[in-house]
Amino acid sequence: MSSSISRRRALQLFGLAAALPAAASLAACSSGGSGSSGSRKLTFVFYGNASQQKAVQAEYSGFVKANPKVQFAAQGIAAQNWAGFANTVATRIAGGAAPDVIDIATEGLGIFRSKKLIEDLETNISKDKAAIDDYYADIDPTYKKWSDEYGNPGGKTYYMPGGFNTVCLYCNKDVFAQAGVDLPGTDDWTWDDFEAAAEKIKSKTGAYILPFGSAQFTDIMPWLLSNGASTLNESWTKPVIDSPEAIEAAEFCKSMVDKGYSPKPGGNFDAATQLAQGKLAALAGGRWPTIDMIRLKLVDKVQIVKMPKKKQLGTPIGWDAFPILTSSQNKDDAWSFIKYLTTKEAGQDFAKVGGTNIPARKSIALSDTFLNGAPKGSELLYQAASYATPVPSPNRGAESQQAVEQTWLKILTGGVAADAGLKQLSTTLAGLL
Amino acid sequence: MTTLTTSASTRRPVRRGDQNVARGYRPPAWLGYAFISPAMIFFLVFIAGPFVVAIALAFFKWDLLTPAQPAGLSNFARLFTDPLLGRTLLTTFAFALASVFTHVIGGLLLALAVNRVANRAVSYFARASVFFPFLISWAAVALLWKYVLDPSFGYIAFYLGQLGIPSPQWFTDPAWSLPAIIGIDFWHTIGYTFIIMLAGLQTVPNELIEAAKTDGASNRQVFFNVTIPLMSPTIFFATVITFIGAFQIFDPMQIITQGGPDNSTMSIVMYLYQTGIQAFDIGYASAIALLVFVIIMGVTALQFWGSRKWVYEQ
Repeated sequence: MSSSISRRRALQLFGLAAALPAAASLAACSSGGSGSSGSRKLTFVFYGNASQQKAVQAEYSGFVKANPKVQFAAQGIAAQNWAGFANTVATRIAGGAAPDVIDIATEGLGIFRSKKLIEDLETNISKDKAAIDDYYADIDPTYKKWSDEYGNPGGKTYYMPGGFNTVCLYCNKDVFAQAGVDLPGTDDWTWDDFEAAAEKIKSKTGAYILPFGSAQFTDIMPWLLSNGASTLNESWTKPVIDSPEAIEAAEFCKSMVDKGYSPKPGGNFDAATQLAQGKLAALAGGRWPTIDMIRLKLVDKVQIVKMPKKKQLGTPIGWDAFPILTSSQNKDDAWSFIKYLTTKEAGQDFAKVGGTNIPARKSIALSDTFLNGAPKGSELLYQAASYATPVPSPNRGAESQQAVEQTWLKILTGGVAADAGLKQLSTTLAGLL
Repeated sequence: MTTLTTSASTRRPVRRGDQNVARGYRPPAWLGYAFISPAMIFFLVFIAGPFVVAIALAFFKWDLLTPAQPAGLSNFARLFTDPLLGRTLLTTFAFALASVFTHVIGGLLLALAVNRVANRAVSYFARASVFFPFLISWAAVALLWKYVLDPSFGYIAFYLGQLGIPSPQWFTDPAWSLPAIIGIDFWHTIGYTFIIMLAGLQTVPNELIEAAKTDGASNRQVFFNVTIPLMSPTIFFATVITFIGAFQIFDPMQIITQGGPDNSTMSIVMYLYQTGIQAFDIGYASAIALLVFVIIMGVTALQFWGSRKWVYEQ
């Protein structure tokens, strides 16, 4: 008997080793399965970095307590934006690491549904009808309508809507006061009022009014929507970004940069710190800048006001949506978790933590628990849902968003005229739809 | 008469190895395979395996999440009609050539300067200083330079402002974006080329330099006629690996500019990533990956072919 391995045999073994990863990935593609049968482990994936994992895990402690047999694991995935997050999760699923439940945002709704990766929740909803009806009765009807229209078409429910974000302005009251500019409070203000305020603030304090950048949600959509424009039509099937109103919005933003009312885009402008230092009068955001305001001890110095309007009040709305993956081996616990998220108890726990979005339940979003400790005017973020427009999120959302943001940046920096740039963008978006 | 006898007891003890050699012993083949298996497995699993899979995938249309469909040669045909691919290749070649040029010359000059420092402590400090940025992750480097080059608040804008010069829009002007990335890459990666050059410089025999000087050669003549020829294998090595590394550049573009503005900083690997992971067009991304492989192989082969004319083999 020879103890040696022939060269041919060795090569065969190495070949097998090489084939394993390919075979594993192909197997994962076909099944997308995760976990073993009978496992009570529940994996929940959210948009966030590793340092947030502990906080998110704690946020759902009520579910963990109520379900001691379920091993609940919250996993944060860091990404550049929500569209990027959706792509990363899709890639993970393709790699065989499918979670049970995802906290997916509006930007990712299409991709998961179109690839048939998520369950229809109708059976579960009918089983727990009373609880879900109670939830829907407590959320803004406009928000429910958006959720059905864009997330759950055809009378089926794939996504249970969760918290959301709209965009308002966080204003440094001291800077406005030093410049002698009155804040609009809960009233509306116009682009002209805003520009006049910018001029006064610049001349009297030297501060910028707002960093005009190219982030789709906070820097582009509010200006388009408040002029009756958008990137795509209502059904997200056709670009409308080259409309006269959109061009006017882009030109307005560029003029604010040109006049020196905004720092030049393209750097690493730390808006929260500049706001704290009085070098910036306002920054745009949803609930998430509140975390910075608390960190920088700015809550009392800051007031939230509506975005200024041209033709109408306008703000984008993007929301959390919770689907169950078809590949989940633990669909019952996954539904229990989603049902838990709709409860008042979960909302109250979330409100205590503070959170980076607005709770869907009105009773929680406008409760003292949620609003205390937040800047004055925080309720406007919830109220904005009534006039908000869902952030356009086609299936190829990441590419669309990148095209929109790059073109907008080019316009702001004078690389292309607004009309020519948006016309070109319209062609690009049409190719992606 | 004295008879010389050699008994077994007086002979030098035969060691096992000697005995094996004497008897023509060969260690078992499995031992050899065992030693090379970690490297072989790594190569097969992480390089050869994915390479074979990439070749196969290039013949399919696949979005990762639904079953793949045969696509014939359409992904390869698309390589010739994709206008963005051509632009991306030009950008990547420009970046790679600029990298090779700046890194090889910069690395050599830095190595020469540091090699001349007589004080050992100063020399070590200089080496560490030049090499240190290479140890920092690209994410941190990108954040750092976005602050430094911020057109409103950055140091560069401040100092240019002191001189009355307006700061360029480094990352938003297509004319400046690629040069800015090339500059940042130089700062980050020059330490690697520098260390290679310094190692090469220290292999140049001092006696040859002394002999040349004794024969009346000037410093310039010594540098070009002695140092550079003896350094040529090192320079060649640096040229090859710098080109390969630069052609695969991804991180700074992805983190700082996301390929913009106007695709002016879109590298080929970034385009590959966007095609595969953003557009979920794995088949075409695989075809691009094969194109990258062919280009790198081709340029490297050209470099080896050209090296016969200028690399001094001892």
